[in-house]
Amino acid sequence: MGLRGHKTVMASSGLAVRFLVALIGPTYVAFPSHWVRGIVTPAEGGQERLVTWANASYERTDLARRLKSQAEDVTVETRIVLYANEQRSRSFAVDKVVGLIDVERALIQPLPAQFRGGERERLLGLFVEASYIALIANPFWVLELPSRTNVLDVFAIRVSERRPGEFDSRLRLPSGALEEASAMSAGSAR
Amino acid sequence: MLRTQLRRQPHKGSSGATEARMQHMVVFSVGGQRLVARTEEISGVMPWTGSTAVPSDTPFVRALVRQEKGCLPVFDLAAKFNRPLQDGEPLCLVVKHVDGPLAICIDSQVPSLHMVARSAVQYRAGSDPDIAGTCIAGEEELPIINLTTLGVSSNRPA
Repeated sequence: MGLRGHKTVMASSGLAVRFLVALIGPTYVAFPSHWVRGIVTPAEGGQERLVTWANASYERTDLARRLKSQAEDVTVETRIVLYANEQRSRSFAVDKVVGLIDVERALIQPLPAQFRGGERERLLGLFVEASYIALIANPFWVLELPSRTNVLDVFAIRVSERRPGEFDSRLRLPSGALEEASAMSAGSAR
Repeated sequence: MLRTQLRRQPHKGSSGATEARMQHMVVFSVGGQRLVARTEEISGVMPWTGSTAVPSDTPFVRALVRQEKGCLPVFDLAAKFNRPLQDGEPLCLVVKHVDGPLAICIDSQVPSLHMVARSAVQYRAGSDPDIAGTCIAGEEELPIINLTTLGVSSNRPA
């Protein structure tokens, strides 16, 4: 049972990080998917301060504003990403869900040193895809938690141990939400 | 510092001495603003293929461009000089920045190489740390831009 829109960027077998890639304004932003708990439509998310889904609550955060990016108005492609770890949960709007992608750890580049401002706290690095460059959001910053060193190592999975089509057991996404996200993104992630 | 380095150059006869009195400079333009830079600070010129915006707090560093399998940060020199880029197909000037390769979007006019007398190069510190002085290239007196340290002095914490 594979996800449509799921993609792997690999140079060789080894450690990889799985990301949920989404558009926020003109920027492709990648979120380590291990903390993605679900993806809902704005209608499903409701208008309250908290988004409640599958017996869990997610406080809203305006990630576009915090990233200092310019989000688009709500469209049919707008989605609310539910993001959480054991300590904290947040929900935020993205303009479009692009899809899931596994990126080998070695292909993840740090943010160039010329970027010296607050973006270094917000962004861990980047990876280059055929049709876009994705900026990796710091998941601790997303959840408004203190950051730590070697953040991405927390999310690394050993791809050589995974069979094709098999997903990381740590990824506990509502399957319906994932299927929907992937179906939406099948065209753009390929 | 550069002057000191130049004085260290060995003299090799009259032709060497002549070369020692000359300096290779590159003239390019950004939004019509003509600038001159030392050739050794430039890695190359390639077509500008568009950039990816990065939400950034760093002044004038707000984008990335693809280069081969990776990407380079972009310094928005046009914004620094508050000049719009001219129409046409812009070029990408790749410079040897102290923090790694850096891309600059420049006007479509291909940069030109000039050999200028050292006496035509006047280094002097001004209010803008990115400007090293002036240089007479051709018949123009142009500002010399410090490409290797572009944006460093004004942004790096003391």
